[in-house]
Amino acid sequence: MPDTYSYFAAAYVVAGVVYGAYLASLWWRAKRG
Amino acid sequence: MTSPPSDSRPRLLDGVMLLALAAVAGAVARILAFTPYEVHQGAAQKIYYIHVPAAMSAYLALGVVAAMSIVYLWLHDERSDRLAESAAEVSFVFTTVVLVTGPLWARPIWNTWWSWDARLNLTLFLWFVTAAYLVLRGAIEQDAMRARYSAVLGVLAALLVPFIHLSVYLFRTMHPMPIVLKPSEPSLPREMLTTFLIASLAFLFFGVALIRARYRLTPLFRSSAGGGNA
Repeated sequence: MPDTYSYFAAAYVVAGVVYGAYLASLWWRAKRG
Repeated sequence: MTSPPSDSRPRLLDGVMLLALAAVAGAVARILAFTPYEVHQGAAQKIYYIHVPAAMSAYLALGVVAAMSIVYLWLHDERSDRLAESAAEVSFVFTTVVLVTGPLWARPIWNTWWSWDARLNLTLFLWFVTAAYLVLRGAIEQDAMRARYSAVLGVLAALLVPFIHLSVYLFRTMHPMPIVLKPSEPSLPREMLTTFLIASLAFLFFGVALIRARYRLTPLFRSSAGGGNA
């Protein structure tokens, strides 16, 4: 089995960052208002 | 437009959003701990369980954009414009995840980050069109004009979705054909198929929760931005 763990981990981390950043943007825009 | 009293203000982390986050967390736990590795691709194959559901959620959100845009053009109801805007923003987020996770999966399997073929190019084009939709909304101050122009663009953006889905059949492409969303039986082992279905439902629910949250919070955004002018 090929060692592709780093790509798997990077994809999950980046996806989490994108979703987390969007949730944070919603929270921040609502708080600012 | 004035802000609602603080005790009645909509909250981002309400029951629906917490339930959606729990569903996503449960799906990821199953992917990480209870789903086997694919022999030929190793761990990278598990990117499939977030890449495809993100695409499905983006398509769902674009469907909402198109439907609500048509409703706006027909009835001129401000709520449908607001829902279309919310869904477009969420679709942009999911398409971004698709475009980021795809190359991270392609690099170890195709030995390249990107292939300029129909599926990938059309998805990138959709990302640009959705970005243009959001930029357009920010550039027009007059409410009715902004809603009308963006409704037309929203319908056109959604028209790309069937072309993206069918592109692997219509053109020669490195992107694999659907292994679940196809007329014949899914080509996944039962354990992986179950994980895929759980992840798909979780991320679709998360998408709905994000659209709902964005829709409910929009009046708070506008009160500070000075928007909402007629």
